[in-house]
Amino acid sequence: MFKSSPETTRRIKRFFKIKRAIVSLFILIILYVISFFSELIANDKPILIQYNGKLYFFAAYNLYPDKTFGGNYDTETQYRELSKTDRFTSTKGNFILFPPIPYSPYTSNLNELTKNPPTPPDGRHLLGTDDRGRDVFARLLYGFRVSMSFAIILLIIEIIIGVIIGALQGYSGGFFDLTAQRFIEILSALPFLYIIILTGNIFGQGFNTLIIVMSIFNWIGLSYYIRAEFLRIKKFQFVDAAKLLGTGDIKILFSEILPNALVPIITFAPFSLIAAIQTLSALDYLGFGLPAPTPSWGELMRQGMEHLSSFWLSVYPFIALFLTLLLLAFVGEGLREAMDPKEYARME
Amino acid sequence: MFRYLIRRLLLIIPTLFGITIVCFFITRMLPGGPVEEAIQKMLSGSKGMMSRSVESKEVERLKKIYGFDKPVVAQYFYWVSRVIAGDFGDSFRTHRPVLSEIAERFPISLTFGLTGFFLAYLICIPLGIAKALKHNTLFDSISSIIVYIGYSIPGFALGILLLVLFGGGSFWNIFPLGGIVSDNFEYLPFYKKVLDYIHHMILPVLCYTIGGFALLTTLMKNSLMEELGKDYIKTALAKGLSYKKVVVHHALQNAFIPILTGLGSFFGVFFAGSILIEKVFNIPGMGLLAYNAIIQRNYPVVLGLIVIQSLLNLVGRLVSDFSLALADPRISFD
Repeated sequence: MFKSSPETTRRIKRFFKIKRAIVSLFILIILYVISFFSELIANDKPILIQYNGKLYFFAAYNLYPDKTFGGNYDTETQYRELSKTDRFTSTKGNFILFPPIPYSPYTSNLNELTKNPPTPPDGRHLLGTDDRGRDVFARLLYGFRVSMSFAIILLIIEIIIGVIIGALQGYSGGFFDLTAQRFIEILSALPFLYIIILTGNIFGQGFNTLIIVMSIFNWIGLSYYIRAEFLRIKKFQFVDAAKLLGTGDIKILFSEILPNALVPIITFAPFSLIAAIQTLSALDYLGFGLPAPTPSWGELMRQGMEHLSSFWLSVYPFIALFLTLLLLAFVGEGLREAMDPKEYARME
Repeated sequence: MFRYLIRRLLLIIPTLFGITIVCFFITRMLPGGPVEEAIQKMLSGSKGMMSRSVESKEVERLKKIYGFDKPVVAQYFYWVSRVIAGDFGDSFRTHRPVLSEIAERFPISLTFGLTGFFLAYLICIPLGIAKALKHNTLFDSISSIIVYIGYSIPGFALGILLLVLFGGGSFWNIFPLGGIVSDNFEYLPFYKKVLDYIHHMILPVLCYTIGGFALLTTLMKNSLMEELGKDYIKTALAKGLSYKKVVVHHALQNAFIPILTGLGSFFGVFFAGSILIEKVFNIPGMGLLAYNAIIQRNYPVVLGLIVIQSLLNLVGRLVSDFSLALADPRISFD
């Protein structure tokens, strides 16, 4: 996107030397990519079906009506029942290959459970089931995708708003800066959590509503850094040079200064993801987050509080949340170190 | 200094103005302004015997009383004057003034928050100093890992984990499940009352502490390291002062400045409590009041809490900026 300067190359090299950060980033990226195939990892829809000599792939993505397999209905096949029917087992070679975790995060496995849910971890449900008999592992897995995607979308919006406002403030200064600062002060004084919960209560909960309301507050932190960076950079000579050459303000803003202001954006990103995931799980815990039945770690912990003796409802999501945040923190610390290495003098 | 304070106080006015405007618009959005509030009160008084037509007539009359028939700007000033007088209306639930509801909860939140706050500073300042002085040693790396772990655990999640582990669910039964005192509190002798209170405070305070732990420790460490790298320290050492003296008398004093500024940002949470932690531990403070008020759509209470919380945040920021300007003579905010 931008021409890489020697400084940028040095920064990237420095980052790659910080093992902990690189490994964490690698793990996070892999997990996030894998999480997009959650439907093939934990699902009650098979990966592969052979029926009367024909192969059917990926039931998670393709809807196979019951009729396909000799049934009477146009509705989607109930695969687990299908595998037990005579019409299926009678032909040799018919088989159904279920994903490694043959449970979806949405289905209650009430008829298969021997006890009332939540049931403790066992051979079938590795991490137990929740209070509706849904597989906890499946919900954790899908919950990771939801949390990360939520945080990333929020981050992107945050960067767009934060950069535009921070840049304009720092570059133009004067009246706009002063007005924007007052505005920011008002926003940051408002109790963020109260307002989110309240708006959720009035306008209804939903992925988009939550993103919008959180975006109203979230850009503030980044805009501080961008503003400071632009204030600093606009005094440099290359900006004056560009002005003398007749480059327009907007162009100077985005093609001359912005690449230099990338450092705060990059160092900010992992910490912003951490904050977003924390807030989302907190809201889900309180019951003001994403609407049911979205798989969510916070919602599981809420159940954990209601069923204190069912430790798997709180301990496992806690571990998932903790590990995700820890990996992000490692990445963030590494980035910070790579971007701005402080050589501290030490004397003894 | 005096001029700076005046300047800052004057700048608070437009901000306050803005905050009240936002809050005012929230009152307009909410289904439950003062008119509905009054209707609610009457309904609960007459046990719902009022008929629809009477109700709508009553609404008209109340609108006049509360100034809802006037233009929005006039309404705003009316609302603000009421708020300034401390009148946030009455709670839908208890029919008591919102302000006295809040005043009742305030000391509870304050006790928990403030204890956590002091504990955080008490642990983080020495730890940060030790880490700076022993930078790149085994002690530094091990304590860094602890700091990372602390950073990655949200306070409320820690609370849930602690309750599951120590609240007598499936593991140990060491700590109470929440609340601030035991049921038999009244009958306990004084020293046992104190013990009981502390017993209830340990877990929540731990959760409050972890919230600021990583940030404060890192801040203290980095700040001291930065000072130690400066020329005046080298000069002092060159003049023959002992390392200990240089650290204690010179570097530390300056290194405390960023820590001072950190104070303000914790203000809001520590004074008004956290919704999350109070919910987890069932502490009847301002946070739990807010949670319940939102659930019950008890809007006068919610609004009162938002206004007060915003004010606390604002004061917190002023305190931290002011202490920064006091501590660092180089800072002039012009």
